[in-house]
Amino acid sequence: MTCPSCGASVAAGARFCESCGAQLGQPDAVPAAAVTVEDHPLGDAPISAPTRKPASALPDPPPVGRRPCGECGGDVGPDLYCLECGTKAPSERDHFREQPASWVAGVCDKGVGKSRNEDAMALLAAPEPGSRAVLVVMDGVSNSVDSDVASLAGARAAREVLRMPLPAGMGTTQGRQAAGAKVLADATAAANTAIVAVTDPDSPNPASATFSAAVLEGRQVSWANIGDSRTYWIPDAGTPLQLSIDDSVAQEQMAAGTPREVAETGPQAHAITKWLGRDSEDFVPSVGTLEVIESGWLLACSDGLWNYCSTPEAMADQVRAAATSDPAALALALVAFANASGGHDNITAALARVDLGHNDQTPTPAAAQGTPGGEPTDG
Amino acid sequence: MAEFTAAVYQNEFLADGGTDVNAIVTVTCKGAGTAGQAGSGAAGEIIIVDTSGSMGPATMAGAKEAAQAALAEIVDGTWFAVIAGADRAMLAYPQVSSGPGMTRMDAKARQDAADAIGRFIGSGGTAISTWLDLAGQLFNSVPEVTQRHVLLLTDGENRERPGRLDEAINRATGFFQADCRGAGTDWQVAEIRRIAQALLGTVDIIPRPAEMKAQFEEIMRKAMARGVADANLRVWTPQGAQVLFVRQVSPTVEDLTARRTPVNPLTGDYPTGAWSDEARDYHVAIRVPAKAIGQEQLAARVQLALGDDVVTQALVKATWSNNSELTTRIDRQVAHYTGQAELADMIQEGLAAKAAGDEATATTKLGRAVQLAAETGNDEATSKLKKVVDVDNEKEGTVRLKRSVEKADEMALDTASTKTTRIRKEPS
Repeated sequence: MTCPSCGASVAAGARFCESCGAQLGQPDAVPAAAVTVEDHPLGDAPISAPTRKPASALPDPPPVGRRPCGECGGDVGPDLYCLECGTKAPSERDHFREQPASWVAGVCDKGVGKSRNEDAMALLAAPEPGSRAVLVVMDGVSNSVDSDVASLAGARAAREVLRMPLPAGMGTTQGRQAAGAKVLADATAAANTAIVAVTDPDSPNPASATFSAAVLEGRQVSWANIGDSRTYWIPDAGTPLQLSIDDSVAQEQMAAGTPREVAETGPQAHAITKWLGRDSEDFVPSVGTLEVIESGWLLACSDGLWNYCSTPEAMADQVRAAATSDPAALALALVAFANASGGHDNITAALARVDLGHNDQTPTPAAAQGTPGGEPTDG
Repeated sequence: MAEFTAAVYQNEFLADGGTDVNAIVTVTCKGAGTAGQAGSGAAGEIIIVDTSGSMGPATMAGAKEAAQAALAEIVDGTWFAVIAGADRAMLAYPQVSSGPGMTRMDAKARQDAADAIGRFIGSGGTAISTWLDLAGQLFNSVPEVTQRHVLLLTDGENRERPGRLDEAINRATGFFQADCRGAGTDWQVAEIRRIAQALLGTVDIIPRPAEMKAQFEEIMRKAMARGVADANLRVWTPQGAQVLFVRQVSPTVEDLTARRTPVNPLTGDYPTGAWSDEARDYHVAIRVPAKAIGQEQLAARVQLALGDDVVTQALVKATWSNNSELTTRIDRQVAHYTGQAELADMIQEGLAAKAAGDEATATTKLGRAVQLAAETGNDEATSKLKKVVDVDNEKEGTVRLKRSVEKADEMALDTASTKTTRIRKEPS
């Protein structure tokens, strides 16, 4: 006797297949053909598939259609060259965009100087502006093999972990931060696992990548970092901040007193001291939180962008120069700025727009702690 | 159902600031079938035989036999007609004075047409414009004929007011195709080549009457094998680009640049006529604005279009590089056909100079032709050149004009000047 579902041999009289779990021998079962889709909203979906996602989980970004030509705006033909100017359209790996909601968008671009795009990005957002957003940026290390594949796999794996609202722990500030840090560390570990999974076990030079994630929940920003991709908070008027701290030789030199401009242009400027990948020795991220008190931009980016505007002030200058409230337009403008400045490395800019009403300038406990996912709070 | 494929041979790498892209596009047709049987319209054949007074008895006998042999090759059901051409054109078959001027081929029509050809008598002059115009009228009288082909035989120079022939050629261009043959040596190669080139056909000399039959049979067999009635080479170039030239380079060199019909501001059609199972090579040269090192750009989409349907496409690219190993390479195909096109020019210009009595120019040009023919391995051109010049040094291209040359050999060299050879294909 064999299983009608998977073909494995099964013991006579068995009610379930040992291989695939299919139910066996039910001659009296109602024929499936009699079941209509209207009667059964699940249709013929497998019974093991999730039938209901928690309402607070963030949806995937909508798929992006074929973009117009980046040079002239003309249509791109099926042969992937512009129908007007003939410019080759970049592959979806070399240039991609995500905009999960009207207020959250990002651009990940190959740049000018590199032959492939090893940066990666994965975004999530709830439709309600300012409610909940996830920005994950990773930068594949260019002297490792297949780091373009690894970085994208890592970013998407981390995004899955951050799909649900961060937990609040016991509800105290400390508890909230500790529980959030744990989830961000889980996201980092998931990224690491994904990188190792796509790495050839025999690779002498295993793929590795940086990791920068930022989660916005109401006014609360939580970030995690490994390597030298960065998270910035750029308020519209106030003092801009670099939230993440690089794991780099330059950062160590700066901590020891070397001026930023010296450290970041030195021979070791881009040597990172932590990374994700098979040969990573430590992938516990540095984490932190920030409570937002005015309108502005949450930015996660790779060094392909901040190379040209490293200080928070310089980054803020570029953001404000773009003079737009559209995150997609701003991401494009920042990538265009980096490309115009030389584009020596891959460039990623992911942004979430935070707009606080004018009569809502000071954070209230309810606004600060009420998470849109309806997690229990201590109000 | 005919299947087309296209392949491109080029060096896509341009040096910094480079603008000119050269590519050879090979278009291959398979499964063309038989003329008029693809369902897109009927095929029509018109045989035009020179019946002027200059046709001697032997030539006339050969021409009659050849025309009758050509009738035998026309597939039953094909629309056809026979024209006797002198200082005016006469419809020899079918003998009608109104209504459709062509008839469908069957055994009886074939016999009747052969009988009509058998009654040809040479008299009068040569006014080829009237022959072409009558052929056009006959095709026009049968609207269902959409694939139109003429086989034209003449033995003498056209005797008409200058310009008349060109006007008739213009009227026929794009309407029907014509393969032309000259009997003997009293006809003008340049004149008949003008007709054949405009009407997308071939030109050749038939020096001896005995050779006519085989030639006519072959021409008609080829015409009947063209199951694809009409196709255009469609070339798209990007905004700001310039088409330097588009020429067919195999099996013969035909410059199509001036024959562009705009499809839209970026796209133009170049006529290629009917297709049998065959491969043709096109040399496309495009000038594009230079881009930065590392940028890639499409310089041309080269397509074959049957009406509005694009049946195959090849992409001509440009990539700017600072690697001189990449940018200094010249594609073998491009080099070969550039040489073959120059060879055709050198032969034609050399012979024209020789005819005009300019021996110095003739010697230089034919010398260069000998050199090019050797370099590109065109043995047919080499052997025909050697009947016109004595070769001192093939590699250097030093030659002496032969003192006595058979006129037929010179004309054969002239008519064969546009025939090219292929080289073994390797992806570039």
